[in-house]
Amino acid sequence: MSELDLWLVPLLMALLVGVLCPVTGTLLVTQRRVLQANLISHAVLPGVAIAVAFGVDPAIGGVISGLLGSLAAERMQRGQQAGQEAVINTVLAGFLGLGVLLIPVLNIRLDLEALLFGDLLIVDWSDLFRVLIAAAAMALLLLTRYRQLVFLGVDPEGAQASGLPVRSLQLVQALVTSMVIVSAMAAVGVILVIGLLCAPVLPGLWRVGSLRAAMFQSALVGLALSAVGFLLAVPLNLPPGPLIGVVCMILLCLPRLRPANAG
Amino acid sequence: MRVAPLVAQGLSVSYGNRVVVDDVSLTLEAGTLTALVGANGAGKSTLLHLLQGRLTPSAGNVACDGMPIQSCRERVVLMPQRGRIDWAFPITVREFVALGEIGQRSFGCCDREAALQRVGLETLANRRLDALSGGQQQRALLARTLVQPSRVLLLDEPCAAIDPPSREQLLVLMRQLADSGQTLLVSNHDWGSALDLFDRVIVLDARVVADGPPAQVRRTLGSPLDRRELIHE
Repeated sequence: MSELDLWLVPLLMALLVGVLCPVTGTLLVTQRRVLQANLISHAVLPGVAIAVAFGVDPAIGGVISGLLGSLAAERMQRGQQAGQEAVINTVLAGFLGLGVLLIPVLNIRLDLEALLFGDLLIVDWSDLFRVLIAAAAMALLLLTRYRQLVFLGVDPEGAQASGLPVRSLQLVQALVTSMVIVSAMAAVGVILVIGLLCAPVLPGLWRVGSLRAAMFQSALVGLALSAVGFLLAVPLNLPPGPLIGVVCMILLCLPRLRPANAG
Repeated sequence: MRVAPLVAQGLSVSYGNRVVVDDVSLTLEAGTLTALVGANGAGKSTLLHLLQGRLTPSAGNVACDGMPIQSCRERVVLMPQRGRIDWAFPITVREFVALGEIGQRSFGCCDREAALQRVGLETLANRRLDALSGGQQQRALLARTLVQPSRVLLLDEPCAAIDPPSREQLLVLMRQLADSGQTLLVSNHDWGSALDLFDRVIVLDARVVADGPPAQVRRTLGSPLDRRELIHE
């Protein structure tokens, strides 16, 4: 790796993830599916472990595993009126536990710390390429299904009654969400990715007039957060991923970015 | 012979041991405004979902223009209760109304701009949905419903949780729609004096308790119509 690659690739990765995660997060926050994204981010672990054991790209295993976790939770939620969050969290814990157990069972070496919290400074061009693929998938979804996604967010029951293929749409969205989370894994890890999915969305959500505008605004905020986190990490000699997570939280404490009636 | 837009025969549905809708038969004629009155839990919403064909009855059937409802679901449009909508979603009134166009090959009574005008929201079209009052939000929801091509409109508690002037505006609007040939079935747990705006009243308590013009139903059940036993929680 050249001297330029040493800095350029991590910086590009931070900026790309800083845009892609908030765009995805805008969909999740407005559809109130953040918990599902949290489940997907934790459920990637068994797939990554199995993929490593069989010499397959861990990203492929992670996407499949994350999607399976989401589907499993959805299936177990059926008929549960009150305990839906409990089901999601139980499946989350189950998949995470399974992933941890698979590491000694399959006798593989996996840097759990890098997987959970990311390590921006060791990303390479292949990680960047994965983010571009996930970004292309998200762009395709938005270009072809934007209005359906809006309908799904504002009135899921009405969308179904109007004949929209709600289940297929949710499945495709879960797949693209898995791709985004797995692609961001190298930069911020499966735990910290939630901060980048949510925090940039919240400050301006209450004042924009469309989902499109909310996505654009959150992408700009995410870009700024990632740049600040990355540029602070270098002189402070701290890991960029966790620092970006902390910067995300600090953003929410700024009173000017909250609606007037939010207290 | 003219075929009625919506005919239901012997509809029944149960949740576990509880019979929610019990042997309900009704015919909705074209251009009529019908009130579906009953207490909370009387089965009104369930009946509306059965009539739209989204819920399968354990017994009975529904026909739209003489055809089984499963083959012509798009002709019966259900306006959901306001609690089902995420009013805080970032969307303008115009974009919200335009959602009614998705997946449709033709418009209902009007396109999005005409629908906005019809419900009196054209000047608020660029506002965010959550910047409207409850009554204005209900009118926006009705406008979205109007954009969808339909023979029958089923409105699930459109006047719930809104102020009296908004409620009056909505009722006048519904009357105008019926007078222009649209068929409407509108549910609520209590219509009070507004009942006289309707052509017909169906009182539901799992089964049909009374059915007829407002005056006749009042005579049958005694006045006022919203007696304690009909509005029990």
